[in-house]
Amino acid sequence: MNAFKRLFDELDPLLHERGRLAIVSALAAAARLTFTELRDALGMTDGNLSVHLQKLEEKGYVTIDKQFVGRRPQTSCQLTRAGRQAFTSYLDHLEAIVQQGRGRNRA
Amino acid sequence: MDPRQAAHTLEVIRTLMERTCQYRLLTAGASLAAGTLAILGASAFVFLDAGDPISFAAVWGFVFASSLTGSFVGTLLRGREVGERVWTRQTRMVLLALAPSLAAAAALTLFFFVRGDHLWLPGVWMLCYGQGTLATSAYAPSGIRWLGVAMLVLGALTLALGAAASIVMMGIAFGLGHLTLGFALLSEERRERAVRLYRSVA
Repeated sequence: MNAFKRLFDELDPLLHERGRLAIVSALAAAARLTFTELRDALGMTDGNLSVHLQKLEEKGYVTIDKQFVGRRPQTSCQLTRAGRQAFTSYLDHLEAIVQQGRGRNRA
Repeated sequence: MDPRQAAHTLEVIRTLMERTCQYRLLTAGASLAAGTLAILGASAFVFLDAGDPISFAAVWGFVFASSLTGSFVGTLLRGREVGERVWTRQTRMVLLALAPSLAAAAALTLFFFVRGDHLWLPGVWMLCYGQGTLATSAYAPSGIRWLGVAMLVLGALTLALGAAASIVMMGIAFGLGHLTLGFALLSEERRERAVRLYRSVA
C-alpha cells in the first residue's frame, strides 16, 4: 500500500479536484475554448467555473484572454505549457497507479 | 486512490477530452434508419427499372431526404437527451468539413443526370461520401473513419464493376455500411452512459 500512497501523494493537488481536472482535460483536447463553450461542455455554473479558472491561472496552468468579438465581450481560455506538463504528469501518475494494481493482481 | 479509481478517472478524462473536441450528437438510431432505408431503396429496384432516371431519382432522392431528416431529428433529440446545444463549435466544424464533398456530389449528380449516365452515380456518391466522412473524422467518433475508408474502397469497386452492379453496391455500401456504423455507435452510447462524466472524477 506504501507504493500507492507514495504515488497518490505525488498527484498534483491543484489538478486532483474534479472541477479543475475537468477544465484541464477539456482544454488539453482543444487549442482554445471560450468561457461559454467550457461551461456548456462541463455543465458548470459561471461562478464555479470562474473560481476554478482563477486558481488555475494563478498557478500558471491556464491563460485567460478577454476581448471583444464585434460588440460582445468574449473570454477565452487556453492551457499553458506548464499546465499541459502538469496534466501529462497527472495522467502518468494515474497510469502508474493502475499498472501497480495490475502487477499486484498478477502476483 | 486505488487502481480501480485511477482507471475510472482516466476513463472519465478520456470521455471529457472526446466531449470537447468531438461531434457527439451523431446517433445510432439515425444511422440504423439510414442503413435500413438504403437497403429498402436498393430492394425497390427488384420491381422498378433502375435505367429509368425518374424512378432512380425518386427512390434515391427519397432515401437521401428521409435519412437527412432522420439525422436532423435524431440530432435534436440527442441534444435534448444529453442536455447539449445542437449548434456548437463542433457542429460548425463538421458542416464545414462536409461542405466541399457535398458540393462536389451535387455538381456530379447534375452532370451525370444531364448526360443520361445516372447509373454511374452510386460509385461517385460513395467516393464523395467517403471523402466527406474522412474529412469529418477528426471531430467524429472513430467508427466514422472506418466508414469513410470503406466507402472509398466500395466506390472504386462500384465504378470498376460497372453500371450493372451499381444498385446492389448502393445497398451494400450505404445500407450495410450505415447499419455497421449504427451498431458501433450503439455500443459507444452504452459506454458513455456507463461513465458518469466529470461529476464522478476522483
